[in-house]
Amino acid sequence: METIAEPQNLEDRVESLVEWLYEGVKPVIPRGSKVINDALLGNQYFTKAEVAVIDSPLIQRLKRIRQTGLVYQVFPSATHTRFEHCLGACTLAERSLRAIQDRFSVEYPDKQFPATTDRLRGNLAHLRMAALLHDVGHGLCSHSSEQIYEALSDLQEFRRKPAYAKNAPGEILSYLIVKSKAFQRWFQDVVVGGCHAAIDLDEVAEMILGKHADQDLFFLAQIISSPYDADKLDYIARDSYYCGLALTVDLARFYGMISTTEYEEKRILALRSYVPLEQIVFSKMTLFGSVYHHPKVKCLDAMLRSLIRHVVENPDQCRLHVRGKLIGFAEPVEYLYPTDEEFFNQLDGFGDEFVKKMLGRFRRRDLFVRCLEMSRRTITNWDDYHRKKLVDLSDPTADLHNVETEIHRRLPAAVKTQCNLGEVLMSVPGVPKIKGDFAYIQASPEGPVEPVEDFFPLEQWTEAYAHNKWRSFIYAPREHATFVRDSAISVLNDNLGVKIDRSKSDQACHI
Amino acid sequence: MTGTSTSEFPVALLPDDILAALLVLAKQVSKRDRLAFRGHDSALQKVFRNLIHEFPSATMEPFVFSDSGPEPYSPVLSESISRLQLSGLVGRENPDYEVLFLRQSAEQYFDQELRHRLSKQDLGQLQQLAQRFLQLVEG
Repeated sequence: METIAEPQNLEDRVESLVEWLYEGVKPVIPRGSKVINDALLGNQYFTKAEVAVIDSPLIQRLKRIRQTGLVYQVFPSATHTRFEHCLGACTLAERSLRAIQDRFSVEYPDKQFPATTDRLRGNLAHLRMAALLHDVGHGLCSHSSEQIYEALSDLQEFRRKPAYAKNAPGEILSYLIVKSKAFQRWFQDVVVGGCHAAIDLDEVAEMILGKHADQDLFFLAQIISSPYDADKLDYIARDSYYCGLALTVDLARFYGMISTTEYEEKRILALRSYVPLEQIVFSKMTLFGSVYHHPKVKCLDAMLRSLIRHVVENPDQCRLHVRGKLIGFAEPVEYLYPTDEEFFNQLDGFGDEFVKKMLGRFRRRDLFVRCLEMSRRTITNWDDYHRKKLVDLSDPTADLHNVETEIHRRLPAAVKTQCNLGEVLMSVPGVPKIKGDFAYIQASPEGPVEPVEDFFPLEQWTEAYAHNKWRSFIYAPREHATFVRDSAISVLNDNLGVKIDRSKSDQACHI
Repeated sequence: MTGTSTSEFPVALLPDDILAALLVLAKQVSKRDRLAFRGHDSALQKVFRNLIHEFPSATMEPFVFSDSGPEPYSPVLSESISRLQLSGLVGRENPDYEVLFLRQSAEQYFDQELRHRLSKQDLGQLQQLAQRFLQLVEG
């Protein structure tokens, strides 16, 4: 059995992952193109080269990684996966490009459209491949584990470089996977050699980071990574559809308004109206409020964090076996080895008593309960000074476990023997990332290029969220809830100066 | 507001702490009762990019600007401003939320929680940056 966490850099670890994924996989050239039907987008058409990539282990593993992590435990139909999202992003990326081309031909009839739209070679082929591969860096439970491993030093170092500064951890890992020698070798054999596709993987990798070497084609990278990229267009529609929320992203109107313009020596995406973007941002805010920051979803995320922390702290008893590998979750790439199924369906042979107990809770949906709410409604000294102290705990580098440990330490002795330290959990959400990077509006081809904030007050939404929606919680097993609540109230008061109105919190937590 | 330094949970100096310190020092330099300036995210990104370019310092290192995109953009800066809004140390004014202002609590937070965590060198650099920052947002 091979163990992983040997001293290697992030690139080397990614290389080992891809070699492991493709180990023993014989190159198979697909017979031809495919039509794949999707619940949301209908028939989607993929070239022979794309089918080769879709059928390869890198993309197939995404079928076993749920798009919204543990959200399905709260919204039972949200079992959609990263796999169908990647196919959808690929389709929507092409629709964006074709919509831009249509408008370009009307607005600039004398000019040649800068991008080519051949699916086997040229810009469209690269764009579609980048969309297909943009999420291969996702691992166990998607963003639920990304929140855990993003604080690990390997990735922090990457994000301190200007080249990666604006990219999410999963995007950086996707980029490194596409750049890996093992994937490049397989791609060269099967996709370039076997399917005769002229696609440069380095260009694809750059687009995943939102970059393009040709300034006149910069907008292609923005179709992959920007405030209105194909990723968002797909996941907002898909997540809301599968969660049963009637949110609307009017794609027809969006495609009618998307265009490009020259700005700061680059050809960038610009919308002719801010309305479609407002709709995207509004839907995203609603998803944060209703789904991603749902108290039970945050509880599940905290339970996963606790389980993984225990594995990391007890490597000898708790390593996970995944097809010949021993996983200790000590560094980011290890989160990409197991899929959701491989992690949660470990019935025997993984972990000690605590791990088995927690896995059992996930299987039975025996979740911890909210025992304390910290919000505008329950904090009696809800002033800026104390809010800052709580908000600081939402930083990925903050160690929430210090607070949890202190709460556990103060439990009555009799309770402490029954309640494991890993069963006292705190969740402090940060600010929803509603925009990220710049979005531009240009009402007409000759008009000024203006940032979207000039048209509708994005910053107001943060204010409104801070005042009305922001809540953090302490969770514990039901039988210990009142003890943990009392201990947490005393810790928050003594250590952070935050005073809680117990009766209001009890009301909010249904205690 | 009580505001004694009670934290026993050490949190590293965060980028939004540095930003809060810079804004408080800018208010002190301005000698005004209130620090308020016009600046949507996009405008502030340019101001800080120029500021850091003019005065490179270790204190401002966390604010890394991406090298792609048509304009300078630092997600850390954008998130820090949002976090200061979330914690209420800065606010935005109606009707268009373009005006960013420093709340009084920021000064108290600086005095009780931040000042002692900054070295003399950090404070000196931040004062220099604060002076230039005022010129940039008011110019």
